[in-house]
Amino acid sequence: MDTAVEDLLRRLAPQVLGAVVRRYGHFDTAEDAVQEALLAAATQWPSGGVPDAPLGWLVTVASRRLTDLLRADQARRRREETAWRWSFDVPAVSGTDDSLILLFLCCHPALRADAQVALTLRAVGGLTTREVARAFLVSEETMTRRITRAKQRIRASGQPFGLPPPASRQDRLAAVLHVLYLIFNEGYATTSGPSLHRADLSTEAIRLTRMVHRLLPDDSEVAGLLALMLLTDARRPARAAADGALVPMAEQDRSLWNAAFIEEGIALVTAALPRGATGPFQLQAAIAALHDEAPSAAATDWPQIVALYSLLLRLAPNPMTALNHAVAVAMASGPSAGLALLSDVSELSGDHRFHAVRGHLLEMSGDGAAAREAYLHAAGLAGSLPQQRYLRERAARLVSDPRA
Amino acid sequence: MKYMILTYASQRDYDAMAGKAVDTEWTGEDFAAMHAFMTKFNQDLEEAGELVETRALDAPVHTRRVGGTPGLVTDGPYAETQEVLAGYWIVECESFDRATQLAMRLGECPAPAGAAATAYADVRPIVESSADLGF
Repeated sequence: MDTAVEDLLRRLAPQVLGAVVRRYGHFDTAEDAVQEALLAAATQWPSGGVPDAPLGWLVTVASRRLTDLLRADQARRRREETAWRWSFDVPAVSGTDDSLILLFLCCHPALRADAQVALTLRAVGGLTTREVARAFLVSEETMTRRITRAKQRIRASGQPFGLPPPASRQDRLAAVLHVLYLIFNEGYATTSGPSLHRADLSTEAIRLTRMVHRLLPDDSEVAGLLALMLLTDARRPARAAADGALVPMAEQDRSLWNAAFIEEGIALVTAALPRGATGPFQLQAAIAALHDEAPSAAATDWPQIVALYSLLLRLAPNPMTALNHAVAVAMASGPSAGLALLSDVSELSGDHRFHAVRGHLLEMSGDGAAAREAYLHAAGLAGSLPQQRYLRERAARLVSDPRA
Repeated sequence: MKYMILTYASQRDYDAMAGKAVDTEWTGEDFAAMHAFMTKFNQDLEEAGELVETRALDAPVHTRRVGGTPGLVTDGPYAETQEVLAGYWIVECESFDRATQLAMRLGECPAPAGAAATAYADVRPIVESSADLGF
């Protein structure tokens, strides 16, 4: 499709959905109607030209589609099924961007994380079900079911179209940020399949997080998350070798890193850190910034990274954070200090990353045989092919190394 | 004195006007002719100083009914052939008869034969103050 038209449609998608749901309700059916309007525009606009008021065009077409879909629905359903208990306070929606309201709806706590992610990409990101399905390597049919169920659940929850009440707003925002982070991570650290990056998902996550940051410019965690994404994604060009193999950060060609993203990410986290309570995303962004600023792995400010991971562990205890903390400690104080900390994260013993880190630290400490064993064990647990190849190569290198 | 002129349509009528295949066909010309008639009708009322306001309502499928059990809301409760309020005019004129005469002009609105035969409008006086009720 025409990229300019596609960009325009993706940007307008949440506004169209917001306008239609405000006027007519029926979030679930309206979402289908908007998809059909977007599809109609995608086929007509590239050749026929973009209308003068594209938003109005889309809202009109989507409203008409909604009327049709509701008519078909009504013919099928019995009347009592369309009655529901109105048990909520009607929230004020003026002065709030619809995109934000939609994000809160899509990340509703009644939904599982995979459903939140899928619905967010479709309803707010404007991706088609096929695109979402492709991004998550499931069939279109499976994704259709997942999205349909998610929408039914939101409908059943009686969630009104509006921001969550102030008392739960922070928790709900945390859920939104978590979903955006999951989307980013799915694109960055592909969990399965042949390709290391599903760059589109990372790009989409950054786009949506930028939007949230624009809507909530004073929220430090939103700024922290955007900074974290930019500072992480900045390394993407150096992360895979020409043959698709994974290049660890220590060995990456840092001149390939995206300088504009690094600059923007550092500016964001620098502005966010002194503002109010420091949240986990800001700390992770600060860590990423230290990596990105370092001219080499050896010249990285590891003691500062250790300090930030310690803070992060206290704020949001998590085995992956503990694992990264152990790596930073090893870099700052030597491999044996890092290895000693690994016993605290034994719950990760079924995860390839735990064994990969163990392999690295053992290799650093000179125990080639144990390192090789750890790498091979990690390779057996890794999901993505580039990761498996990387770990087996590390293991093979130790065999040919006379020191091993 | 103020009167309300009310017109009615079923979901089926809305569908027909939207160009969907039902038993009554509205062609493009029918629709354009109706639109031109209504524009003229409203203009005349306005010029005569008799129009207070006029509105059309969206399709019956976009209806929420509240009531009965407290807190219960029902989506679009109408059967598709049931006629419900579709639009109204509030006119200010000298008498019920004048208001009726205005409403009768709506009968001249071009429409396909099937639609024209069953179309009707109600005229009802608006209750404005106790004086209107004769107190």
